[in-house]
Amino acid sequence: MKIKDLEKLDNEGVENLSSKERRRFLQFGLSITGVFLGGSILSLSSARKVQAALSGGNVPMTEFPYSPHYTMVIRENHCIGCELCLEACRSTNKVPAHGYRTTILERSIPVTEEQRRRVFMPILCNHCNHPPCVRVCPTRATYKDETNGIVRMNPDKCIGCKTCMAACPYNARYFNEAIRAIDKCNFCYDTKLKESGGKITACAAACPANVRIFGDLSDPESEAYKLIHAPEKVIWVLRPETDTLPNVFYMNA
Amino acid sequence: MTIYDKTNTFPLVSMNRVLLFVGLALISGIGLSFGIHSLLVGHDHTFGTSREVPWGILVSPYVFFACLSTGLCIVSSLGQVFAIETFQPIVPRTVFLALITMATGLMCITLELESPWRVGSYALLSPHQSSNIWWKTTIYSLYLIFMVFNFMSLALQKKKRAKVFAIIALVTVTMGNLNMNSDMELLGARGFWSENYMPLYFLSLSTLTGCGAVLLFSWLGKAVSNQTPSIKDNEALKATGKLFMVLLLGILYFTGVKVMGGFFPQFTKNPEAMALLVQGSFAPNFWIGEVGLAVLLPLALILITRGNNSTVLALAGISCLTGVFVLFYDLVIVGQLIPHYFQYHVVDLPQYYSYSPSLHEIMITTGAIFFFLAAFVLGEILFKKVYLS
Repeated sequence: MKIKDLEKLDNEGVENLSSKERRRFLQFGLSITGVFLGGSILSLSSARKVQAALSGGNVPMTEFPYSPHYTMVIRENHCIGCELCLEACRSTNKVPAHGYRTTILERSIPVTEEQRRRVFMPILCNHCNHPPCVRVCPTRATYKDETNGIVRMNPDKCIGCKTCMAACPYNARYFNEAIRAIDKCNFCYDTKLKESGGKITACAAACPANVRIFGDLSDPESEAYKLIHAPEKVIWVLRPETDTLPNVFYMNA
Repeated sequence: MTIYDKTNTFPLVSMNRVLLFVGLALISGIGLSFGIHSLLVGHDHTFGTSREVPWGILVSPYVFFACLSTGLCIVSSLGQVFAIETFQPIVPRTVFLALITMATGLMCITLELESPWRVGSYALLSPHQSSNIWWKTTIYSLYLIFMVFNFMSLALQKKKRAKVFAIIALVTVTMGNLNMNSDMELLGARGFWSENYMPLYFLSLSTLTGCGAVLLFSWLGKAVSNQTPSIKDNEALKATGKLFMVLLLGILYFTGVKVMGGFFPQFTKNPEAMALLVQGSFAPNFWIGEVGLAVLLPLALILITRGNNSTVLALAGISCLTGVFVLFYDLVIVGQLIPHYFQYHVVDLPQYYSYSPSLHEIMITTGAIFFFLAAFVLGEILFKKVYLS
């Protein structure tokens, strides 16, 4: 029905509305007002609950549980797909030809009905704070490093059930036949990271466009920290619906 | 030795049955030798699995046999634990079947592991109590031990002791079955099956397959032994047939829910996987296997004969078991075929990942099925006296 037609109708008034309907309408209005004012004064639910609902059930953490809390920021629009990072990862970590720890996906994002934008999206293990791979491992072969939060592997304990591969939402794991165990990115924990004194990974060091920014989320002086906390920047994570709380962040900068 | 003395019927065994056992065992050996080969050269060279689809067909017989064992344990408990007299004649064979099905299932999952030799040490030295896989394997291993004791007690005519082990085994395997659902649910990140109805669905499916197996293998057992079933045997099978029919109706309801999910995304948590199953390339598996063989054909056979013909009941049993095997194959594979980054407009990313079982995987699965059949015939040869008791 068009507005002009509506105007022609007689006003029904509010006299016939039941008190139940009035109350429901008022309650709905107050809830919306409360949520949008952002406070817990008018809202019927506490601000904490509202935040949780908006963030997919997870209340954002104010403190970082690890120190150093290693993270990587991917400046997606800087990536030119040169794959030097992949080469560096392969040679540094002795990754066999049949697998990879990190790769670059090419996206074709629709902008309008006719136009599409090409973007390179580097992916690697997200070293999640709620890692499903760690949760499912029956022998603790994969575990969250209690000091720095890196999701690591102990190949000696791996029975090769591949449940972690099935559970990972990021396709970040592969089975390395040479060691008969699962292999994955560990932020070069035993190679480049060790050599550099915890400063950089092989992929980040090799990147000519400064796409991969490795850093410490608990150190305000770290570049990664500054990028993530820049209020004017939009940051996102991959597959947030899986509630894994990733430590790899994406942005256009 | 006592068990052997009490159960030994070797002098009466016909050569045909021994030859049947040897034939089945040989086929099983050939099939399982492919598993040994895979262990030696690595699954990358012999399995159809990949980084994207890490679980192959071998997970299906594991889930199938584990659920079947659960169902058999539940059916045996009707006579043994709940003392329903009608079901008592089928208890010993059902307990033995439950035992060998679980052994077969555990063998399948062992051959599915890339490095199974590490299980013995690290499952004990480095257990992860938050892992459903760890619980499941531990629970099923314990259950197997309880069922061995249960069967030994039955063979020795120690009925009270057998009942105690039967109760413990029933509780244990029900826990394992519920854990099976959580196991799949945990993998929700991959579009696996995490529907709310799953725990009840798994338990109903398990009991359904248990009934189907009792109907089939009781008939086969009599055929192998050239025996005419007694009146009590027939009554027990009729009662199992009735239970089977009720469960078929229950599963028909769940199948309807799946169909709804396949056509209407709002009815499912995994619309992509459900659409692939019901309308996509897995539709023949679903409509022929899961709907036709697993539910409609057995239901029709039972309704037509009113559950009075043991041969038709056996036919309904084998149809249902075949259909449920297909169902478990779909359950394991379909959820994995949804690409990880399907919503990210990735160039050259297929709409679905692909998986086809390799020759090695098919041979191992065949070997496992024949291992179970050989063990069944061996049971008919060795424990005839126990079954008749």
